[in-house]
Amino acid sequence: MTKIFRTSMFVIIAMSFLLAACGSATPTQASVEPTFAPTEPVATAVEPTTAPTEDPMAMYAPDAVSGDIVSAGSSTVFPLSERMKQRFEEEGFSGNITIDSVGTGAGFERFCKAGETDISNASRPIKDTETANCAALSPARTPIGFQVGIDALAITVSKDNTWLTDVTKAELAQIFSTATKWSDVRPDWPAESIQRFSPGTDSGTFDYFVEAIMAPANQVDGKADVPSGEKAILDSAGTQFSEDDNVLVQGVEGSQYAIGYFGYAYYQENKDRLNILSVESVAPTAETAESGEYPLARPLFIYSDQQIMQDKPQVAAFILFYLENVGNEILDVGYFPISDAKLQEGLDAWHSAVGE
Amino acid sequence: MIEQEKKSSATTVFRQQSNGLRGRRRIGELIIQGLLFFSGFVSIFTTIGIVYELGKEALLFFQMPQVNILKSLTTTIWQPHTGNFGIWPLVTSTLMTTTIAMLIAIPLGLGVAIYLSEYATPKARSILKPVLEVLAGIPTIVYGYFALTFMTPFLRSIFGKDVVEIYNTASAGLVMGILILPLITSMTEDALSAVPRSLREAAYGMGGTRLEVALQVILPAALSGIAAAIIIGISRAIGETMIVAVAAGAGPNFTLNPFKGAETITGHIVRISGGDLSYDSIDYNSIFALGLLLFIITLTLNIISQRIVRRFREVYE
Amino acid sequence: MKEKLANPNYDVNIEGRNRGGLIWKWIFQASTVVGIIALTALLLNIMDSAFGYVALEAKVDPATLTVDGVSLENQNKEQLISVLQSHISSGAYNKLEKDQPFAERSVANIRQLILERVVKYDVKKSWSLWESITSADQIKQEAIKNYPNAKLQFISWLSSDFVDRPQSSEALTAGVRTAILGSLWTILFTILVAFPIGVGAAIYLEEYATDNWLNRLIRTNINNLAGVPSIVYGILGLAIFVRALEPLMSGAIFGYVDPTTANGRTVLAAGLTLGLLVLPIIIINAQEAIRAVPQSLRKASYGLGATKWQTVWSHVLPNAIPGILTGTILAVSRAIGETAPLVVVGASTAISFDPTSPFSKFTTLPIQIYQWTSRPQDEFRSLAAAAIIVLLIILLGLNAAAILLRNRFSRSY
Repeated sequence: MTKIFRTSMFVIIAMSFLLAACGSATPTQASVEPTFAPTEPVATAVEPTTAPTEDPMAMYAPDAVSGDIVSAGSSTVFPLSERMKQRFEEEGFSGNITIDSVGTGAGFERFCKAGETDISNASRPIKDTETANCAALSPARTPIGFQVGIDALAITVSKDNTWLTDVTKAELAQIFSTATKWSDVRPDWPAESIQRFSPGTDSGTFDYFVEAIMAPANQVDGKADVPSGEKAILDSAGTQFSEDDNVLVQGVEGSQYAIGYFGYAYYQENKDRLNILSVESVAPTAETAESGEYPLARPLFIYSDQQIMQDKPQVAAFILFYLENVGNEILDVGYFPISDAKLQEGLDAWHSAVGE
Repeated sequence: MIEQEKKSSATTVFRQQSNGLRGRRRIGELIIQGLLFFSGFVSIFTTIGIVYELGKEALLFFQMPQVNILKSLTTTIWQPHTGNFGIWPLVTSTLMTTTIAMLIAIPLGLGVAIYLSEYATPKARSILKPVLEVLAGIPTIVYGYFALTFMTPFLRSIFGKDVVEIYNTASAGLVMGILILPLITSMTEDALSAVPRSLREAAYGMGGTRLEVALQVILPAALSGIAAAIIIGISRAIGETMIVAVAAGAGPNFTLNPFKGAETITGHIVRISGGDLSYDSIDYNSIFALGLLLFIITLTLNIISQRIVRRFREVYE
Repeated sequence: MKEKLANPNYDVNIEGRNRGGLIWKWIFQASTVVGIIALTALLLNIMDSAFGYVALEAKVDPATLTVDGVSLENQNKEQLISVLQSHISSGAYNKLEKDQPFAERSVANIRQLILERVVKYDVKKSWSLWESITSADQIKQEAIKNYPNAKLQFISWLSSDFVDRPQSSEALTAGVRTAILGSLWTILFTILVAFPIGVGAAIYLEEYATDNWLNRLIRTNINNLAGVPSIVYGILGLAIFVRALEPLMSGAIFGYVDPTTANGRTVLAAGLTLGLLVLPIIIINAQEAIRAVPQSLRKASYGLGATKWQTVWSHVLPNAIPGILTGTILAVSRAIGETAPLVVVGASTAISFDPTSPFSKFTTLPIQIYQWTSRPQDEFRSLAAAAIIVLLIILLGLNAAAILLRNRFSRSY
């Protein structure tokens, strides 16, 4: 008996030493006041039009703030937020930032119902029900949205597909609902069955596609109706729904009669195997996405609350850093930047929230 | 002389125990028994917690006007967005993946276990058993991607790209079988090893060959352990989430064709809970009802199998 | 039977039976081989992604980073520092200085920093190990044709840096240190909780419990719990540990954390949730192990005057240890690979500080792997493969420890 006891005690002690040793190997990050005046980071895409580097703004520099920032939300915005967090930490932030990728809806639940997070990432604007939940919190929260980027939806076909380069929105709706053969949509297209690939019903991309394409094509009382639009795509024969956009890519490239839609970044990574379609004769590029000319471009947001930004200056600092530097990183992550005007709107909202 | 001495020392010890220490030990025994009972009861607490949490939200789901329990049990389309709540597509898909998985795992698992315990040298056994246990430790997402990137193309190359869809329950089931294999092997092998040597030797003494002893004497003697292993295997197969979430598709489909994509109960739960849906939507509440359904299915299976096992269990010594 | 044996013409058919035995022996061996083939296929599949050629394009050409005509490889420390200082922001420079003063840093370290922060290689395309080995020339030609500014390099995504670095959003500098520590911390608490309770419950059910309705209920219940999908445990953990027991989980009750930022989504909550998840596995295995201990041992112990607990502790348990440890190995294997319940309970997806206590926020390897596999860029999937290999190595280590213990206690009767 003592042998077992001794061996197990040894194992437990050994493990705890191991963990402690690993833990203490990280450099301790104490928040030390810098002995020089911090300046704005060197590379900025957009110069903020407010007075640069005056004293009030200095308190929001990355190395001047510390504390925790808790963020959660959309899996689409996640890679972008993760990148900005890394840059923020590289610039001298000494606190702890955590970001959870749980979905826009769950993110808002944590923000507005549980009051757990400081920033909520979202791939769609906040809903009224969610705002109401925020107001019902104690202390109440009034969500402020900052648009940080644009995600364009790519309608793609296989590289082997030489006959399809452009669709209209109405045709797209038909392709993803009632049509069974390509020739049903346009007679000069091949008489082969359409192989459809779509994100699942839990995905924000799906919701957006339904809202932008399916709903206007399935009108009730002359108005675009989301439920019947949803029904139309869900009832379409043989459509493969997927949780994972990478798999959609594989499905689409497998046959010249396949068509699918997903975030632009997934097309960009697989340019050698996929062709992208223009929608309404507009191809998705940074310019068309930003100007709104490309009809399938959805906004990406981060939401916070005025009180949080004032009580926790590190949150305000992070949001400011985000808005100012997202233009440098967003193309690399796979999305499109917002226009300068929109960015300015965000910065103005920031200033009024922080009270300057 | 010596015997007398031994006897007197034994009685002295006994007297010491019965006089001085017995009282103390008894209270200690009671405390320990209480602690042990509490440990056993933790599982009941867990079940109560699960049933309460699931039931609470599932009730909300059933109270929604679009949901009709009778219709749920009789229709074959599951698509909450369009108001269809027939559970059968999800249930048949779950049963299909489980069956395919068990068809792989039980024969192979038993085979490996018999080989390890009856035929393999102790050195081979000490190497092979841990190697197989590594299979049990590979995270299930890895298995999921293995099913998608290796098993599905493999099946497609055998049966043709038109027969096998990119998502199908067959590759998910096959890979799940590989996942469960070490579970069954490990537990069966332990059960076979635990059969008393005297039984083995008696059978050999009667002239049995190695195979006959293994199949006709050892296997029946270890039946309760083997049955436990199989029950755990089936339970694991039914409750497996990530493999089916990745490889069986995201579209509920009522079909008995294993080469088509069909979402299982667990795949649906994990997809909806990880997605972008808001917390009050009907889709979200449905996952609690599905969780409850799964719970009831496994409970039924377990009660049936326990009855069977109890009938056949043999106790030695 | 006696009549059969008495009959001189009764053929005991030794050859036939032995032949049958041989065939079955091959069948059993074949099953083992199939298992091993499956494992090998899996491992090869993973390793295929974890190594290979990549085409790296630099944001800033290193050739332009000369100081007084001295190229990057030959510069001394002061020149390297000046290159670094002139290309990154002062905020970043000060942070690096604070982490470790430049005077103390080695030349190699500073050069590495320059590569990471200034030159900033970007992966344009990556190839799998198989492709890299078999069609190396084709790859070289393709790289020259499509990516003229890129340099081709064979990298191993799995490296000591990979294990040592914290999370990063850039593939080339990403590491899994935070995830490894998070996984280890979580497993520690899982075992601390599940092992005593599991073995205790098994002892109770096998040694003390009578066959009444309550105990039958407990037995059925445990078997049932083994099949509950892991995500349901996640929901349970969220409701009980994260929400209801939040002050305990976050350490606020001990005054450990500032109550305003306290949050129940900690290592402790995750460990407890996973503990509940693997409890049935441990109980069932321990039960079988205890059941297999021969009654003669127990009777002998009672005969010598031992009490029930003494018998259990000194005789039954030591003989049941191999089976109990099998259960523990299976439990650890299960727990270390779980993703879904931890996401629900609140493992963070992006976190760059190491867990320092049971009340820390954390992330785990499977969550990291899952996140990386869903990214569009190929190199993230290579990272995921490397992380899987790390996870398997950790698992092997933990299993090896348990197996050593198991072998020491193994006995046969």
